Amino acid sequence: MLKFRPRSFLIFCWLGIALPGCLSSSQPDRPPGYLVVGLESNPTHLDPRYATDANSIRIGALLFNSLTRTDQNGNLQPDLAERWETIDDRTYIFHLRKGVTFHNGKPLTAADVAYTYRSILDPKNRSPKRATLQFLESVDPVGPDRVRFRLAEPYAPFLESTNLGIVPDGSRTNDGSSRQSLIGTGPFALEEFLPGERIMLKANANYWGGSPAVSGLIFKIIPDAMVRVLEFKKRNVDFLQNDIEPDMLPWLRDKAQASIQIAQGTTFQYIGMNLEHPILKHREVREALAYGIDREAIIRHLLKGLAIPATGMLSPIHWAYESSVPKFSHDPERAKRLLDQAGFHDPDGEGPLPRFKLSYKTTNLDLRRRMAEALKQQLSEVGIELEVHTFEWGTFYADIKRGNFDLYSLSWVGITDPDIYFALFHSRNIPPNGDNRGHYRNPEVDQLLEQGRRSLGVDERRVIYSEVQKILARDLPYIPLWWAKNVVLTRQGIRGFIPYPDGDLISLKNVSLSFSNPEA
Amino acid sequence: MNRYLARRLLLFLPTLFGTLTLVFFLIHLVPGDPVEVMLGETASGTDKETLRHELGLDLPLWTQYTRFLSGLALGDLGRSLYEQDSVSRLVRARFPATLELTLTAMLLALLIAFPLGIIAALKRHSWTDRLSLLFSLLGLSMPNFWLGPLLIIVFSIELGWLPVSGRGTLAHLILPSATLGMAMAAILIRMIRSALLDVLHEDYIQTARAKGLSEQKVWLKHALRNSLLSVVTIIGLQFGTLLAGSIITETIFTWPGLGRLTIQAIQTRDYPLVQGCILVIATSYLLVNLMTDIVYRLVDPRITYGK
Repeated sequence: MLKFRPRSFLIFCWLGIALPGCLSSSQPDRPPGYLVVGLESNPTHLDPRYATDANSIRIGALLFNSLTRTDQNGNLQPDLAERWETIDDRTYIFHLRKGVTFHNGKPLTAADVAYTYRSILDPKNRSPKRATLQFLESVDPVGPDRVRFRLAEPYAPFLESTNLGIVPDGSRTNDGSSRQSLIGTGPFALEEFLPGERIMLKANANYWGGSPAVSGLIFKIIPDAMVRVLEFKKRNVDFLQNDIEPDMLPWLRDKAQASIQIAQGTTFQYIGMNLEHPILKHREVREALAYGIDREAIIRHLLKGLAIPATGMLSPIHWAYESSVPKFSHDPERAKRLLDQAGFHDPDGEGPLPRFKLSYKTTNLDLRRRMAEALKQQLSEVGIELEVHTFEWGTFYADIKRGNFDLYSLSWVGITDPDIYFALFHSRNIPPNGDNRGHYRNPEVDQLLEQGRRSLGVDERRVIYSEVQKILARDLPYIPLWWAKNVVLTRQGIRGFIPYPDGDLISLKNVSLSFSNPEA
Repeated sequence: MNRYLARRLLLFLPTLFGTLTLVFFLIHLVPGDPVEVMLGETASGTDKETLRHELGLDLPLWTQYTRFLSGLALGDLGRSLYEQDSVSRLVRARFPATLELTLTAMLLALLIAFPLGIIAALKRHSWTDRLSLLFSLLGLSMPNFWLGPLLIIVFSIELGWLPVSGRGTLAHLILPSATLGMAMAAILIRMIRSALLDVLHEDYIQTARAKGLSEQKVWLKHALRNSLLSVVTIIGLQFGTLLAGSIITETIFTWPGLGRLTIQAIQTRDYPLVQGCILVIATSYLLVNLMTDIVYRLVDPRITYGK
């Protein structure tokens, strides 16, 4: 019989499997002039027709241009469209920029724009964006460089929908194998997409807006927050935006020689409530919760100042922001009075018994858990006991969607048009088919929101949404917590990045490097 | 032996089938809707229903299960709901990385455990014995999510010897496999030490010594070989722990393996992908256990497996 040696066998197995892998895959060196960006999660679909997660949208915007684009002040600017005309309240014509070519050299035409929108509207293609374009009746080319959009009814947020990346006519629809062959007109072209590892983009030398200053970008997926920061310290990563533990910032500044930019953001953190709950249906209780929470303390201690207390969903940089709304600074005494008024007396005064208990659901992320503990402590001071339940994201979100909660906390990212209020607070959107998860009902708000999406004038809409914001701050279907600030970390020697309030990375096309790449 | 192997192979299939059945029903019972992940929150109820129907998610769970099994029988693992790609292709792309990591971790654990375990037994109660036991205690007490960053800080940041994360060269493999293999090495050191000390009192060791064999030969040829039996058992069982631990290690070291893919599939309720990942993980575990039994026979030819 052959003599069997277990260790030799294992070494043989390892050599057979590990070595070819090690030798064949090359070390992810950075070619000269490339900037390395660290990302927390893997972008799933860079194709703009399917991109829904923040990283896919942000990287997609570097590969694809859209008809319009929002600038750093949240205003709509021409992108592939040089200009547009409103023919009537249902018809728009976009005039395309001339001389634009796709990464494969093919010139951009109106047929490409029509194809992009039509392929999303075709139910066969299962685009997650189809529902958001349901107001479109038709999209037709009018000659080679004009496109006509016909709407089923007047719809003010329409122009916001034109920030969708344009793909060439005939592009394949969603298919894993099409990932490597995405073609756009953007400042960067896709070089390599290794899901879960990295995405390499190379500068588009023929970009109609001028070639980017860097030779290319590498997006490295590093799920662990600590490792992301250590890679930055080691100079394997040059750029990080958000997803940085606030506690690490001082260390990064001192030990990693990081340049830190902190800028106003639009991400809105709130507490959602079930308005059909026997206790939470009382407005006084919701108000008492708002007064019982010390936002300033949470921002100062937990978030290290990286947020500002919010008064509503729209941040002060939004064109429709209304500042004259009730504000809820920390006032435990007032909270107690309100609870007394609502008939929820403290059974033992300053004793340990609560007035009532509420369940609070959150995800198992470290910062969210600590935030829950802080809220629990603060609300216990006014006699409200929070039972904190933490869940894995999928389970948590399914519960929220089903309305299975008393209180929960989430954030809204990338709010652009105030029509978002329609989705969240119109009584027509109470689940199962909508996002009015707290079951908020107010006929006056319904009417205003319908008016808001039909009115085409900015001034007219500003008046409508100002009223909506005042009513919501009074009715409190959400308790506003804060608007998160954007934190951008760059290695010294990187210039030209402008942080966008919604975290857009488009400004990477203007970035220049004045350092030599480190050793691999 | 051949009959035994045939019987084990026959048992292999029901075990795998049981695992997949359990996972199938568990993942479907957990709250969460893949259709919502695919179509987005704003999709209309009709669109969601249409897609649910197209994907067969509106069918009774039992029918979905039989469909899954018939697909499996034909070698079709289906398409990932979220990634929109074939499950076989996704799993095939990630599995080599996990296998590479777990096998290297195992090899590293063996390379650490055998010398330390043998020395500990040879020099019982000496400072080397105490040192190896301390190493073993530390290895068992340190969780991967703590040990990983610690190793990075020491070997990548402070000393600058090894890369922080990623996969590519042999250097990239050292820290993740050390992190993953540490607990296994710790267990094996103690196992090897105590197994060796046990056999030292056996008669055949005394006989070997009486024959005038050198102490080295007594230890390596007689004692070690006979103590291997229990160690082999532990190696087989620990492989499952390595596969499970690879999920955390892969996340820390940005290792593009099956563990991270499994987590993502569970989070997005990507049912076919979860099943595909579990199929590969369970098969590997069962195969390693089967191999352990074969190695048993080879280590100790006296072992027979019934007729």
